[in-house]
Amino acid sequence: MSKDSEERLNVTVKSNTKDLFAFTKLLPSRKKRIERASSEPIREDAIMELSQKLHPERQFLIIDEVKEETKSTKTFKLVPDPDSETKELAYFRPGQYISLKVDLKGVRITRPYSIASPPKDALKGFYELTIRKEENGFLTKLIWDTWSVGTKVESSGPEGFFSFERLRDLNQIVGIAGGSGITPFRSMAKAIIDGTIDAKLTLLYGSSEEDDIIYYEEFKQMEKNNPSKIKIVHVLSCPVISLEGCERGFITKEIIEKYCDANSSTFFICGPQIMYNFVQEELKKFNLPAKRIRREAFGEVKDILTHPDFPKEVAEKVFKVKVHIGEQTKEIPAMATESVLVALERANLNPPSKCRSGECGFCRSLLIDGDVYINPVSDWRKGADKKYNYFHPCASYPISDLEINIPRDS
Amino acid sequence: MSENKEQIIEDSYDVVVIGAGNGGLSATVYLVSNGLKVLCLEQHNLPGGVASSFIRGRFEFETSLHALEGYGPPSNKGSVRRLFEDRLNLDTKFVQIPEAFRLISTDPGEEMDVSMPFGVENFINAIEREVPGSRESLENFFKLAKEVDDAFNYFGKSKGNPDQGVLIKEFPNFLKTAAYSATEVYNALNIPEKAQHILNGYWAYMGLPASRINFTVYATMVLSYAEKGGYIPTDRSHGFTTALDSKIREFGGRIEYNTKVDKILVEEGKVIGVKTNRGDEIKTNHVISNASPTLTYNKLIFPKSEVPEIAYKEVNARIHGLTGFVVYVGLDATAEELGLHGYSLFIMKNMDTEGIYESWSKLQAPDGMACVVLNNGIPDCSPKGTCILDITTLFRPEAWKDVKPEDYFDIKNKIAEELIKKFEDATGTSLRGHIEEIEIATPATFARYARLYNGIFYGYEPESWDSVIPRMMAMGKDVHIEGLEFAGGFGRRLHGYSSAINDGKLSAGLTLQKILKEREEA
Repeated sequence: MSKDSEERLNVTVKSNTKDLFAFTKLLPSRKKRIERASSEPIREDAIMELSQKLHPERQFLIIDEVKEETKSTKTFKLVPDPDSETKELAYFRPGQYISLKVDLKGVRITRPYSIASPPKDALKGFYELTIRKEENGFLTKLIWDTWSVGTKVESSGPEGFFSFERLRDLNQIVGIAGGSGITPFRSMAKAIIDGTIDAKLTLLYGSSEEDDIIYYEEFKQMEKNNPSKIKIVHVLSCPVISLEGCERGFITKEIIEKYCDANSSTFFICGPQIMYNFVQEELKKFNLPAKRIRREAFGEVKDILTHPDFPKEVAEKVFKVKVHIGEQTKEIPAMATESVLVALERANLNPPSKCRSGECGFCRSLLIDGDVYINPVSDWRKGADKKYNYFHPCASYPISDLEINIPRDS
Repeated sequence: MSENKEQIIEDSYDVVVIGAGNGGLSATVYLVSNGLKVLCLEQHNLPGGVASSFIRGRFEFETSLHALEGYGPPSNKGSVRRLFEDRLNLDTKFVQIPEAFRLISTDPGEEMDVSMPFGVENFINAIEREVPGSRESLENFFKLAKEVDDAFNYFGKSKGNPDQGVLIKEFPNFLKTAAYSATEVYNALNIPEKAQHILNGYWAYMGLPASRINFTVYATMVLSYAEKGGYIPTDRSHGFTTALDSKIREFGGRIEYNTKVDKILVEEGKVIGVKTNRGDEIKTNHVISNASPTLTYNKLIFPKSEVPEIAYKEVNARIHGLTGFVVYVGLDATAEELGLHGYSLFIMKNMDTEGIYESWSKLQAPDGMACVVLNNGIPDCSPKGTCILDITTLFRPEAWKDVKPEDYFDIKNKIAEELIKKFEDATGTSLRGHIEEIEIATPATFARYARLYNGIFYGYEPESWDSVIPRMMAMGKDVHIEGLEFAGGFGRRLHGYSSAINDGKLSAGLTLQKILKEREEA
């Protein structure tokens, strides 16, 4: 080596011989270490177990109790189905939902429902869901007709981001709820009372009928027993009001101002999109930063025709959708006014879905050909997905014949 | 229901690739581009494994990539760029990050805040400025690193069977340092201690203290970054993994999402097929597993009696690496307004890599973190007036093993809060009032989305005895079930994006050779 030019590096760690010897021993010593190791299989995977407890792919539940909540709503208490692999319910963050998977006349569909009970009740072995019967709602009709104690229900794990986050939110929460949008706030209120969340909740709750207010008595009690933490204000849009202490009309800037300091609050909004649109305009008047306003996904848009930029000329049309799933190809009809997901479900293709709001991306599919309308407020596609023509069928409406590729359900 | 139960994917393939992570995608695209019939099965509904993105509010966050190694500028293409651009003509855009890293040490008496530029000369100059008199030793470090890198390339070309004579003649210094740790070789090169500390800047990317990491592994990584720079995709890792998915389809390959492989069927020591959680039964004689050998041997091989004892021993002998924890923050002010300087910030309590590694064993905010201010690499990666910050730290999985679901949210929240505080203290910034979106990934999150054993994304630890060189030299002898290869961060090339991508290509190449040979014989 000494003959090499000065440029030539000559590194010695221990000694020339030892260093070269160390190299020649690399492979044999690896072999030896492997031979000496235990041949016991590994059984533990603690982190995967934790992950599966927190995020089970499926939960098999059974109805344990049904309560008539109001004239149009029922609260279902769900517990693990003893005949299933579900032994305990996943813990969650107040405000999260589960997506139910229901067999509707032989067609499998999903529906997301906020968990109305607090996370501590999950540890006791139950979730509560409060469901309102919808006019012309196929699923809720089925629920009203057939769900009773003992009915088995399949759900996803807890999902969604509509939760209080103390690193981000101010601990004065102002909840703005409309109709059955109150359900996540029941979970939050109870979690505040039991100490899971360190925050205060002022809930402005809009109802359209005085005798159909969900949790009226329950919230009254919670407020009475925890006056420093919970406050509820009912805002009624019905013409005649007999209840005391209610506000009349809709949730306006004036009503918000009357009950809270908008600048030192974080707003959580859950209700139909029409209410959200109204409240959003009212909140604009406070000029709040975006981070102070959180909204829950709306669920499936009820009447896409009311969206100003939806191409109305296709409203009456039924398009053909060529669907590739695995190696199979099927042609199915799809109405312009119904999401592509609904068309897939009707055709019994069992597409994956959870949120039905465009948000979770679980139904992500490839648009090979054709055009869809995507409601801008439900457009949660990633940048690259837009580029490569992926779309979320739950938030997309056919406006031409389509060719798509969908994944199988997990 | 009837449609769902019917098998709707073909039942016979040349190769089945398990997992569409970096290694699995790379293996699949290599094989389909060579005309093989390949099925890639992925349990999640997206490609990429940990190489992905997610949206919260107005922000699309990068899941895990900080700086892609081995990409390089057009004038000095690295292996990944050659693969993506030249071989695949992939429709993706990567940009170079502005500097190698900013290293901050916070302990009183050990304070340091240095920004390291790319370019070997610049890199040496920057350390020389901080540690006068270190230049010569650093020049030798890079000379040695270059020799090691050349030796690696020679190893690659020789498929793990190098000619001893060539090695001795061409790569003597490589041979003499291949069995030592980074610290041992630094000392042999007389690199001053403080210069070693700066040189160690990248150590968190390998996740092993300087006294334990094999020198050749670490030196080639530093050389690659210094020579070729670090790159990031403009549309997050989801951009290039989706582009790979698209390319695979273009070549006629098939990827099935939401499909978990339950069993790799083995008969008389040979792979004969796979079985999925959907009930699909697929015949194949070749499986490339993007799942770790740990999971593959312990959970997937069926029947279990087909797992040879040596496979269990191998898994047990190796040291499982680290899992991690990431705080993703969307801020409602610009990086400039907040005073966030630098793209890649390594914030360490001190320069004691062993001590910091130790801190990764405890369920508390660790002493070392690697942070990315994404907008300082991609200015328009978030809406106007906002920016994205990721704070990443690492954990030994054991630290999380006793966490109960009901304590999980509080624990992760508290650790995230402390990490943000540490970040603010180290950088003299104030972020808390600007958080518009925040998401926290824990070891359980990585286990959930990428199905990683114990959430581990750093593969097996590359101490000298199990570094790239012995792994490569064992190539061929490391196949314990005929027809089973591995690809990804637990493979022969170690962890990290470019390593996993290169490993996928390597395993695919080996599989292709075998198939061509089988066809010839048939």
